[in-house]
Amino acid sequence: MSLRGQRVVTISSGQAVRFLVTLMGGSSVAFPAQWVRGIVLPASAGPDGRATWAGMEYERTDLFTRLKLKSEGLSPDTRLILYGNEERSRSFAVDKVLGLLDVERALIRPLPPQFRGKERERILGFFVAPSSVALIANPFWVLDLPHRLHALEMFAIRIAEGMSGENDSRLHLPVAGLDEPVEPCELSVEGHHAT
Amino acid sequence: MLRSQLRRQSDTTASGAIAARVQSMVVFSVAGKRLAARTEEIGGVLPWPGTMPVPSDTPFVTSLVRHEESCLPVFDLAAKFKCSVREEESLCLIVKHVDGPLAICIDARVPSMHVVPRSEVQYQSGLDPDIAGSCVAGDEQLPLINLATLGVASPRPA
Repeated sequence: MSLRGQRVVTISSGQAVRFLVTLMGGSSVAFPAQWVRGIVLPASAGPDGRATWAGMEYERTDLFTRLKLKSEGLSPDTRLILYGNEERSRSFAVDKVLGLLDVERALIRPLPPQFRGKERERILGFFVAPSSVALIANPFWVLDLPHRLHALEMFAIRIAEGMSGENDSRLHLPVAGLDEPVEPCELSVEGHHAT
Repeated sequence: MLRSQLRRQSDTTASGAIAARVQSMVVFSVAGKRLAARTEEIGGVLPWPGTMPVPSDTPFVTSLVRHEESCLPVFDLAAKFKCSVREEESLCLIVKHVDGPLAICIDARVPSMHVVPRSEVQYQSGLDPDIAGSCVAGDEQLPLINLATLGVASPRPA
């Protein structure tokens, strides 16, 4: 299986950030895709909520509660995202996976200064997609790691050269449009496979 | 030449004196509550574009609206007044806020402009820092709202 409705996103400058875009409680929430290790069905998690994949254990975190969003409930579209870096890993549920999107760095906006609460730790900013606005979840906050300034910079990829900002395994997935449906998918990450 | 210069100077002085004596106000309503605001704090009025919720801890700032190529934060003035606005029958008031442009959802009734004598504007500092005082515009006594600093006095995170 693969992401359906693939399309090329025009990149007019060299730098972009690749996001996995999801729906959570009616909001589009985007996660830097370099730390996505897999997308699995909720049934893949054990009774303790932990998901094990390729010998790695992913402790469950309830992002709906942490983001103060209301889940639309378990549905055939619900997925668990396996997310992690070399330090920590977590799994969390989303209502739907919309796809992967490369967003030009210049089109990523910070949260306006009128937002002055803890949301600034949770959300790095947003980008305007053709049919919606996607909020960018702070990947360090997702993994309960210490916050970093300019956190998105390390996820910037140089499209022309195919270079990433950090030495990390990268998703081998075609880029899909935001507004196109996605079938239950299989992600292939260097050395790992998730269904 | 000197005479025309003097006339110009006198005209400028006169218009400056008039400006000093009056305040241009915009009157609008939020969930039926009538409010006045200084015209220079307003950037425009548009159809309400619909909001995108943001899980936020900032009081009354809990969504974004699309505006031109980007998005503006929304201050929920209706929620501040403990009421609600029917968004599908609303207008978007763009505010020149000190932190950058801000959107407010207001009633569909198109805002009206008034030139108010300064003697009809009473500034007073009350419990609510967002309310500057009151004024009389079009025979109505209205609260005067500080749009440019809306929400600035709300608690900031540590």
